[in-house]
Amino acid sequence: MASPLRSAVDAAASALAAERARIEVAVSNLANIESTRSAEGGPYRRRDVVLQTAPVDSFDHALGRASAIGVRVAAIVEDTTAPRRRYEPSHPDADADGYVALPNVDPAEEMVDMLSAARAYQANLTAINLIRDMVQRALDLGRA
Amino acid sequence: MALDPLTGITGVLPAATSGAQAAAGSRFTQALQRLLEATEQSSAEANGRVSAMLDGRGDVHDAMIALQRAEMTLQLTVQVRNKLLQAYQEVMRMPV
Repeated sequence: MASPLRSAVDAAASALAAERARIEVAVSNLANIESTRSAEGGPYRRRDVVLQTAPVDSFDHALGRASAIGVRVAAIVEDTTAPRRRYEPSHPDADADGYVALPNVDPAEEMVDMLSAARAYQANLTAINLIRDMVQRALDLGRA
Repeated sequence: MALDPLTGITGVLPAATSGAQAAAGSRFTQALQRLLEATEQSSAEANGRVSAMLDGRGDVHDAMIALQRAEMTLQLTVQVRNKLLQAYQEVMRMPV
């Protein structure tokens, strides 16, 4: 595939990987919505993906005039907001007052995150398909 | 009557053109060679990506993009080969 289109596809592919990471994190947030114990102690803490631009390795980039810039996951950080508290004295992890500290996960927020990540994934797939069609059309030039 | 003098001409043309012809020929062969190498390389990469995906080490989209790239490179190679063959046949049909 021609080099400029190649870097464009690489950029879109990096976005696909980043959106997949966002979905993974949203899914793990949803999965652990009731987890009162974690490896670090205390309830599970909601996690968030931090994205960062990542130059696509190309000749143009080496020359300092890259047109395609990819994205990568810079970090997965924990949400530091306070855990939810629910009165449930019978729970084994309840404190002296009978309150259980639950993860600071809001299902609605996770659903919105997941939807937006899925839409972004689709958008990048569409971009890749568009580039594929362009290359295909260019190859059709030779078919005359 | 002897026809000897004509034989002297044959030595001139090859000496003048063979160098350039060989260079042009090798350049084209090199280009074709590189195209074939690119095809080979992209298909090997696609192969690697697909097996990585099957092993759970890679993403589906990476495998698909690698496959798509391999297909595009193959199509380009086939197009170049078609054009080459077409040009050859054109020359062969040329009335002399």
